[in-house]
Amino acid sequence: MTAPELDNLRLAQLAPAETGDVRGREVVFAVEGLEVSYGGAAALRDVTLDIRRNYVTAFIGPSGCGKSTLIRCFNRMNDLIPGAVVSGKVDYHGRDLYGPSVDPVEVRRRIGMVFQKPNPFPKSIYDNIAFGPRVLGLKAGLGERVEEALTRAALWDEVKDRLKDNALGLSGGQQQRLCIARALAVEPDVILMDEPASALDPVSTSRIEDLVHELKRDYTIVIVTHNMQQAARVADMTAFFSVSVDESGARRHGTLVEYDRTAKLFTNPTDQRTEDYVTGRFG
Amino acid sequence: MARVQFQSRLDMLEASLQEQGEVVLRSVRGAMDALERRDIELCDEVIRFDDEIDTRYHRIEKDVEEVLAQQSPVATDLRLVLAILHDSMHLERVGDQAVTVAKLTKLAHGLEPQHDLAEGLQEMGDRAEEMVRIALDSFAERDVERARSLVDLDEVIDRANRRVVGQVLSASNPENQEWGMRMIVVARCIERIGDNAVDIGEQTAFVVTGEFHEFSDASTSL
Repeated sequence: MTAPELDNLRLAQLAPAETGDVRGREVVFAVEGLEVSYGGAAALRDVTLDIRRNYVTAFIGPSGCGKSTLIRCFNRMNDLIPGAVVSGKVDYHGRDLYGPSVDPVEVRRRIGMVFQKPNPFPKSIYDNIAFGPRVLGLKAGLGERVEEALTRAALWDEVKDRLKDNALGLSGGQQQRLCIARALAVEPDVILMDEPASALDPVSTSRIEDLVHELKRDYTIVIVTHNMQQAARVADMTAFFSVSVDESGARRHGTLVEYDRTAKLFTNPTDQRTEDYVTGRFG
Repeated sequence: MARVQFQSRLDMLEASLQEQGEVVLRSVRGAMDALERRDIELCDEVIRFDDEIDTRYHRIEKDVEEVLAQQSPVATDLRLVLAILHDSMHLERVGDQAVTVAKLTKLAHGLEPQHDLAEGLQEMGDRAEEMVRIALDSFAERDVERARSLVDLDEVIDRANRRVVGQVLSASNPENQEWGMRMIVVARCIERIGDNAVDIGEQTAFVVTGEFHEFSDASTSL
């Protein structure tokens, strides 16, 4: 497929009057014909989409649709899985993320990740945040850096008087914001969130969602969520993935069905499969 | 099909809307019959009956509020729920127009009617009733083409309404004229019923296509 055709394919998914703002935004990740397989079996096939700057982009879809697989391609987390093969293209600010000269450690500094279960180190709150900067040799002004990261993650006021306490003593919601602060402390460009609120209660969930909304001013955020209403609330753009079954019926792989402005996807989706999923008529 | 409870609530909402439509049509028919027969008792009945229409409207409004709060409908479901709310409001307004016709019939009581105009008004009323019927049926069937046909029917009523002033002024008998003055407003009420039917048709297109467009540009016509 030639470049102009691809461009048309991406834009064809957006209604003409609504493309202006989206099109004008810088592309952070340009994904083209991406396929990911584990041990020879395709988990995700033929994904083409752009992630744009300072947007929250949500990936939704049923289990096994490949949404977590895709988000893990953005900071080369799949490199760590034996037998995982990534083909196709993922450009990050115009550079091939899987190019030979790219250092995966530098990639993970610029592209931070927050996981479903908060995973603080069994250390003090302060040391959790200071860990990344120390490893990277960013020792000057460490105290300010820790405060800045905790403030941005809306946690500072709750922990400023007990920075030496063990982080495992924090509530689940606080631990998750600590993990977000930890990601922010190394000055990333992108934050990937894989089900960041699915283990949290509604109040903590709503704080994380408010935080996502705040953070998008400075960062580009990609979020995987099982909670469709969460995607509807926080995301500017939403990609819906589904599971395709091959002709023999034996093999299943994830596929991108529709990618559009969140408001469009939740009010007037183009694809019937999206409609069935978002309205809960799936299956 | 998943979400059985949600689907049954949507079905019930739609059924309530159609019932409200039947009740409103009964009111319109009552108002037109009262006008034709100059029946004061029937006028009072139509006026009292408006409470029934209002109650149904408020019940639908409440149900819509609850479905939105509890079921978070999206896509076609969301459009359907929003359209039902709009349609119910349009129907409630049709009911209000019927009440105004009934009140004007009372005010005109004892005055000498102008026969050609009286016949014309009955014809307008028949058409308006037919339009509301088509609006409700095409909504139930999600038939956009039929909904769109309401524009042409509305044009006929609009034209009839525009002729009424001339007809009233042409009456030589002053008593005819006083009756006619009341009937100018009656004609306007019937014309508004037609407009509300078109509005319901527009909601049908919104549910089906996902985009809201007015069928015709109201600013270009009188």
